[in-house]
Amino acid sequence: MLTIILTGISLAAIYAIAASGLVVTYTTTGTFNFAHGAIGMLAAYLYRQATASTDFGGWGWPVWLGLIFVVLFAAPAFGVVVERGVMRRLDGASEVVKVVVTVSLLLALVGLAVWQWPSVSSDPEKFLVGTSWEKFRFGDTTVTGHQIVTVCVALAVAIGLRLLLFRTRLGVAMRAVVDDRNLVRLNGAKPHRLAMFSWALGFSLAAVSGVLVAPERGLNQVQLTLLVVNAYAAAVVGRLRSLPMTFVGALVLGIGQSLAATKLIGVNIGWFSLADLQYAVSPVLLFFAMLFLPSERLRAGAAKRVRESWRLPSLRTAAWGALGFVVAVVAATDLIGADPDRAGLVTALSFALVALSLVPLTGMAGQISLAQMSFFGVGALIMSWIGDDGHTVAGLIVAIAVSAVVGGLVALPALRLTGLYLALGTAAFSLFMTRMVFKQTRLMPGEQVAVPGLDLGFATFRTNQAQITLLAIVFAAVGVFVIWLRGSSFGRRLTAMKDSPVACATLGLDLTRTKIAVFALSAAIAGLSGALVNRSVANSDFELLASMNVTMLAVVGGVGAVSGVLFGGLLLGVINKLGDVLFASNAVGIFEFVKIAVVDLQKVAPGFIGIGLGANPSGAATDIADTYRPVAESRPALSLAVGGPALAWVLARSGTINKWTFVAVLAVMVFGVIPAVPILLRPIPGGRASAAGAFAIASIVVTGAIDWETLTASNGMRVLWMLIACGAVARGVMAIHGQFPHTGAAPQPSPDLVGIDRPLDRSDAIEAERVLGLTEGVLRGAP
Amino acid sequence: MTPIDTSAAPPLLELSGVRAGYGSIEVLHGVNLAVPAGSVVALLGPNGAGKTTTLGVACGLIEPTAGKVLMAGRDVTGVAPEELVRRGVVTIPEGRGIFPNLTVRENLQMVTYGGARLADVEATAYERFPRLGERRKQLAGTMSGGEQQMLAMARGLASNPALLFLDELSMGLAPLVVEELYGIVAQIARSGVSILVIEQFARTVLGVADYAAIMLNGLVRSVGRPADIEDELSAAYLGGQKP
Repeated sequence: MLTIILTGISLAAIYAIAASGLVVTYTTTGTFNFAHGAIGMLAAYLYRQATASTDFGGWGWPVWLGLIFVVLFAAPAFGVVVERGVMRRLDGASEVVKVVVTVSLLLALVGLAVWQWPSVSSDPEKFLVGTSWEKFRFGDTTVTGHQIVTVCVALAVAIGLRLLLFRTRLGVAMRAVVDDRNLVRLNGAKPHRLAMFSWALGFSLAAVSGVLVAPERGLNQVQLTLLVVNAYAAAVVGRLRSLPMTFVGALVLGIGQSLAATKLIGVNIGWFSLADLQYAVSPVLLFFAMLFLPSERLRAGAAKRVRESWRLPSLRTAAWGALGFVVAVVAATDLIGADPDRAGLVTALSFALVALSLVPLTGMAGQISLAQMSFFGVGALIMSWIGDDGHTVAGLIVAIAVSAVVGGLVALPALRLTGLYLALGTAAFSLFMTRMVFKQTRLMPGEQVAVPGLDLGFATFRTNQAQITLLAIVFAAVGVFVIWLRGSSFGRRLTAMKDSPVACATLGLDLTRTKIAVFALSAAIAGLSGALVNRSVANSDFELLASMNVTMLAVVGGVGAVSGVLFGGLLLGVINKLGDVLFASNAVGIFEFVKIAVVDLQKVAPGFIGIGLGANPSGAATDIADTYRPVAESRPALSLAVGGPALAWVLARSGTINKWTFVAVLAVMVFGVIPAVPILLRPIPGGRASAAGAFAIASIVVTGAIDWETLTASNGMRVLWMLIACGAVARGVMAIHGQFPHTGAAPQPSPDLVGIDRPLDRSDAIEAERVLGLTEGVLRGAP
Repeated sequence: MTPIDTSAAPPLLELSGVRAGYGSIEVLHGVNLAVPAGSVVALLGPNGAGKTTTLGVACGLIEPTAGKVLMAGRDVTGVAPEELVRRGVVTIPEGRGIFPNLTVRENLQMVTYGGARLADVEATAYERFPRLGERRKQLAGTMSGGEQQMLAMARGLASNPALLFLDELSMGLAPLVVEELYGIVAQIARSGVSILVIEQFARTVLGVADYAAIMLNGLVRSVGRPADIEDELSAAYLGGQKP
């Protein structure tokens, strides 16, 4: 028993170090660093790289030098870079964007580590001071030197932080920033410098915890990252503020885990195995900590101004868009020869549908969830049980219903909490489901589940082509439903709740029911997507990182718009699956000269895309939509935009042009020519519209005349050439036309544009009254 | 009406043609204002006139879109507030310029970023406001409104400024406390500090001020000795025409 407690304490020490780093950064900058675990993981790898002997591929540095390099140099320097490059631009962004950017950082770093250190033979003897030390004996208990070092470091961190924050001017100023940033400046201190220091300190502490935990648990990118994620729970026990309570949380967590690891092996409740409960201690603790957190007081004040903005399409536009989408998807897949080649698109659409579930939840209601793939998993599980013997329709309905109920349950602790706590709560739920449900051998034999295809009686969906058609129709239908919902009273309630919870409360709006309903709805959509997956899914698809990926790319695409999440979902599908199919068999790789294989780039790409979100919180879709909006508004332009690709499709279908040529023609049309069409149709004085139009048509014909299939053997080079062609055509059209107005978002109207160039005074008021026919009698209410 | 006499020396603070705003909304439409060395200028005006924005520009928190901020004749437009603080420009912002989650002593510790020594700051603060001395370990946010404002004023006193900006000292305080605070303002003024005071309630400040400026709709409409300006003041607040 003593051994268990001692092991628990050394584990607790690691959590305490990691959690205190989280708390310090959060309290002083207001940003919760989800990437904390990934920093620790990366630090452990870097430390191993520096100190491992050259025989093991390391640099062979002595241990002390490696420690100083990683903890005091590399980690803080990286913290400074992240603060300057990423976090500083997030001032004024919503909580959702802040969460997504740090989640992206996590994903990017995990990708980077997987890429850089695909497999490392750990060299435990030399890993860290103390691991090779004798074990100490107290009676019949043994303690390793490493455990003693760990506990000592934790105590030093605790005392050091206490002294820093309460005894030094730097620490006092770091706490002052939270209260009033401007007042700190008026006192003569520089908040940016304080924030930089705070990020550097946080990263350093993450590095310490990573280096300490790695020798105990071994080097594995995802495992190490998630291990430090456990520290979230300890930080929440400290309400992300109090360091002493954080240490208490870490202690509970460490001892609980150590107890569960030894006492629960082989324990079952019925068929439900508790063996993995040690990994679920952290989510459970987080859940309870949140239940007992004092409810966040509704803060009065102005409605939140956020930088994101989305346009709501009319129902008519949405319906046409949905129809166009289904036709385009079916037509495009029809050209693919072999059915297995369509699998990538099935996955992409499946992700898009999960991402769609975030539109009501995140886009409208402003609630963030990092557990959508868990609901997806619930849907898949239910469908495989019930749908197994042919009752697929019943399976689908039950899957949707159960997902909705589970979603509603997850919302319960979230009712009193907002933003960040919600993200943490759903992350905990996701970890819990992964460990306790999706790993149960009874539920998922072989860690995977076979989901049958839908059988409607008159139609069965088993082939990839059928599956694509089904998913496209379902996505289109749910998308239209979501847009309709936004205009309904429920949608208004959601948006109102996002903008100002205070105003909602004073209007007597029932926030509880609205929140549960939107969570249930969102979970139901994700569950629907899981139930329609029609293949064998491994439980790793339901993990936290998968959910993070979906949420991140939905927000990157633009989570307020159906088109945005479609873009995000397809991007994820392309990066995850289609890219592998296209480029993995590519013998030379895409850029031979840079020697970066696309497949490697794919590992880090999504994370970096997400980090870039700081620059454009509304997501990519709004930018794209702004470019194409004039096309949709002009009828002749729209018919050309639809007619051109349709003609190309007919040519490809009949075999006149080959498929790669079709792709090239389509790309040139969509990206090079169509955005310019409305301008060409409505000539501007001085513009050579007809010449530019002729050039556009000629370039499309030339593109079609080239045999893209034999042009080059490399898929990568082919895609590269197409991109160059698109850019050249677009530039060419603009250059020939000469008078090309700037396309894109209209600038915010300034008061000058509105026609007011001076402050209004009394004479203006009198004039306004005269124009409106307001006499004194009218104002007094006389007849 | 006596215009501000700036013939002797350049004024310590001068705003000329300052335009500023928030996003696409312009609040100040060309503000001209001068604070002569060693005098107290009261900036008066109704809600939304642009007084606090003017102060924000003067202390460096808001960068003007046009116009210049001069201090002792030198152009300081766009200089960061923390740099100005180190050169003796102290601002006590609207609504208690204190950190509520720091103790009294820690609040005073923040003052040392301006260059003063902690021991001096504490000595000055506790001598002037003995009550702060009794509460040095208490969280500032848990003190009464008057005590909080005293703490804020202590910063103004202890950092030994050349130019002091005060924004709505009287807000939400009992008349007796306000009187006491303005007594201290008068004392600071006598020691030669130039002060710009913003007030919505003119009566509280006119006794202390050498000059008063009236602001309306983002412009300084008139400047003069307090006695000359009273009539115009009531007109400005009531939105009526000049009598």
